[in-house]
Amino acid sequence: MAPRTPYGNEVRIRIGGPAGFGIKAAGATLSRVFARAGYHTFDLTEYPSLIKGGHNTYHLRVSEDEIFSHVMPTDVLVALDAATIPLHIAELTEGGAIVFDPHDIEADAIDLGERAGEICLVPVPLTEIVREVGGVRIMRNVAALGAVLGHMQFPLDGLLESLRHQFARKDPQIAEQNIAAAKSGYEAASQVQCDFPFRLAPREGQPTRVLADGNTAFAIGALVAGIGLYAAYPMTPASSVLHFMAAHAEEQGVVVKHTEDEIAAINTCIGAAFGGTRAACCTSGGGFSLMVEAFGFAGVSESAIVVGLFTRPGPATGMPTWTEQSDVRFAIHAAQGEFLRVVLAPGDQAEAFEFAWRAFNLADQLQTPVIVLGDSYLSDNTQTLPGFDTAAVAVERGEIQLKGEVTGYARYRPAENGVSLRAVPGVRGAEQIVNSYEHDEHGFGSPGEDAETRVVQNAKRLSKMRLATTLVPSPREYGPREADVSFIFFGSTKMPVREAMKWLESDGVSANALQLTTVYPFPAQAVFEFMERGRRTILVEGNATGQLQGLIREYCLRETSHHINRFDGRPFSPELIYTTTHQILGNRPGVTLGGAVVSPKGAEA
Amino acid sequence: MIAPDEFKSPLKPTWCPGCGNFNMAEALRRALSEIGWEKHEFAMVWGIGCHGNGADFYDVAGMHALHGRALPPATGLALTRPDLHVIVEMGDGDGYGIGLGHFVHSARRNPNITVIAHNNQIYGLTTGQASPTTDHLMRTVSTPDGVLEQPVNPIGLALAERATFVARGFSGDIEHLAGLFKQAFAHRGFALVDVFQPCVTWNKLNTSAWFRERVYKLEESDWETSNLDAALALSMTSFHELTCTPEQCRIPIGVFYQAADVPTYEDGLTATQTPGWKRAEGPRDVSAIVSALG
Repeated sequence: MAPRTPYGNEVRIRIGGPAGFGIKAAGATLSRVFARAGYHTFDLTEYPSLIKGGHNTYHLRVSEDEIFSHVMPTDVLVALDAATIPLHIAELTEGGAIVFDPHDIEADAIDLGERAGEICLVPVPLTEIVREVGGVRIMRNVAALGAVLGHMQFPLDGLLESLRHQFARKDPQIAEQNIAAAKSGYEAASQVQCDFPFRLAPREGQPTRVLADGNTAFAIGALVAGIGLYAAYPMTPASSVLHFMAAHAEEQGVVVKHTEDEIAAINTCIGAAFGGTRAACCTSGGGFSLMVEAFGFAGVSESAIVVGLFTRPGPATGMPTWTEQSDVRFAIHAAQGEFLRVVLAPGDQAEAFEFAWRAFNLADQLQTPVIVLGDSYLSDNTQTLPGFDTAAVAVERGEIQLKGEVTGYARYRPAENGVSLRAVPGVRGAEQIVNSYEHDEHGFGSPGEDAETRVVQNAKRLSKMRLATTLVPSPREYGPREADVSFIFFGSTKMPVREAMKWLESDGVSANALQLTTVYPFPAQAVFEFMERGRRTILVEGNATGQLQGLIREYCLRETSHHINRFDGRPFSPELIYTTTHQILGNRPGVTLGGAVVSPKGAEA
Repeated sequence: MIAPDEFKSPLKPTWCPGCGNFNMAEALRRALSEIGWEKHEFAMVWGIGCHGNGADFYDVAGMHALHGRALPPATGLALTRPDLHVIVEMGDGDGYGIGLGHFVHSARRNPNITVIAHNNQIYGLTTGQASPTTDHLMRTVSTPDGVLEQPVNPIGLALAERATFVARGFSGDIEHLAGLFKQAFAHRGFALVDVFQPCVTWNKLNTSAWFRERVYKLEESDWETSNLDAALALSMTSFHELTCTPEQCRIPIGVFYQAADVPTYEDGLTATQTPGWKRAEGPRDVSAIVSALG
């Protein structure tokens, strides 16, 4: 059984069932209801699992306190089919409830095993309700949402309002059917007498919160930065950036192109950048594999482009809908030859917004490609935010001339910081070549083969590294300066690490953490100093081979005392980090959680 | 008007003596001069190959892109810079081999781009391998027993995707070629000029003399450029016997097909009507988008 502690006043709801049942849409409606009622929410969508026929789930965490990630337990399980129940029964908390449709399974056929007496069964005739309101089968999920609120004794108004809004543009009859289904579900669940211990009520006086997943946050960050062209080929988990951009393209003046492949996408961006336009393409590892040659082209031609690399388990097609952090080395080393690139790794939705706009500035200031490295866990999952920090946004375009005339222009003239003036086509006197070949200062290819010229130009490009280190986001530190345990991580692992730190703190274990917001140029100094200070350093990364660990060895000649890796496609849970940390501290017997590896040094007290 | 020679860079062309690229460059400089664009009003994009080495020999704003990938950056430029004319130069291996996908998709997309294909039916820069347009059964270093595939039919492929301007030229006739380039520049939309340009070093079959005996001008044969079906049928002249006599294989040059007043890709969007860099003159106001997430 999942422990009640160390969670605060919160409720976790899981909706499960086969694909095509509108599970994600239903979950999004529910998260909006609670967000508008003054709660913090975090959701996790998982699809499909390894069960034949596909099993989709949506897990929603609703809390009075600020939360950083999803958690494992469930208080209310909505089973839209019978198969959902045995898959998730172990995660139900004591006093938890199962909302199910007797049409799928009769109450006495549900085997609660050892959990009998701890779990409340809430039969709601979803199929019958839908039939009565004259709706279609997919409306069962709306009746189920009503039932969840009915069981929690949470007012129904918010859901009804949300449904009216959602169906405002459709046939009014459909809105009415949905509202009737929600009401019936609510009433049916209200009649079940269980002592449900997790009551929430709408909270007054809370600030307005917005709901965003990482991709939405990234897209808004790109918009605020002044993106003028977005080109992409669909690939999970990056595709929703394309959808968002396409939906807002005309209103925001962004040229959005779904190209024939990822090779075209990145090259289209390079062409737009050549004309002075801010351009980006997002993809996952497979698509980035196709982009690699052009990534190097951007490097040698000193083109300012932004690539969103939102990773999933590889190699090849891998596990499309799951998450992994195994492309760090790939991002850092992509393409032949040696050139500067920047790799930023946002850790949550706020940073996905922030690093998106910063990426465009860095690309322009350094005239080189910038990768924003995310993963499915960040791309797909939605949390409440107070909004985005748009006040901090500045558009820095670096050494660029967009109109007028230029004299004595040399596109690749060596400069002390490696950055030369970039005058775009249309500027009189800017007639030079931007080249994928090595080139001389005017961009001509054949003189670029001269040994001396090659060294000058290659050194010029590489010398931008010094400027890069002064411009990129510095590592971020959380927690006290001195602590019992010190975590090191990059990317979306920030979310469960910060959650776990909160719990460790409440157990009296002091924890701090260093987040590598920039993975490349590698922040060696900061990592080194943090490790020197740490009593027990725990590296947390979502890959099998320890790619960040390898970078630390390479740049700091140091080894963390412990590491936790996960590579089963699932995101780190705070529970995994929390229990493994206690295990490292010798406080608890070992726990077995999928994919967790604790180094031999974990035996240390 | 800018004189043709003013489009020359200080660098001397490195093409083989007698290479068809010399005549193509001359025709292009003449067409640029006659169309009357100033140097800041257009940009060129090259792929990789002998044609691409030409990037060094022009005094223009341009991009020497990756092998096979001239069209995507040209498209990115065209869609974000309505104030510029965009010209692509590509080769047959470059544009019809590794870059064939971009070619077909660009044809159906109809962006406002002129594409000049240097079609010498051989890989020149990599020393003589068969290209996608090498004639069936021709022997090359990579096909010692002859090419077993049918050649790519670029005219036919472009027409099959309803490209709005499709022409073929021959580098042996500079004046005719310059005329085709000018017509292509004046055309709104995707304009292909596929140019037979003999490789004197590696293609001993499709030589200038070989072409001279076979080419004829469409405009001298009452050709109707508005008939797509007839143009598609005519494009099948891309396929012929390796040893065909001049009488057996006649090679049409000139405009195969032109569709007037077809909307370009850019016409379908308003976002393309403003130079893209103007979107980044300051932070965008995203407050309405953010509040809609509440």
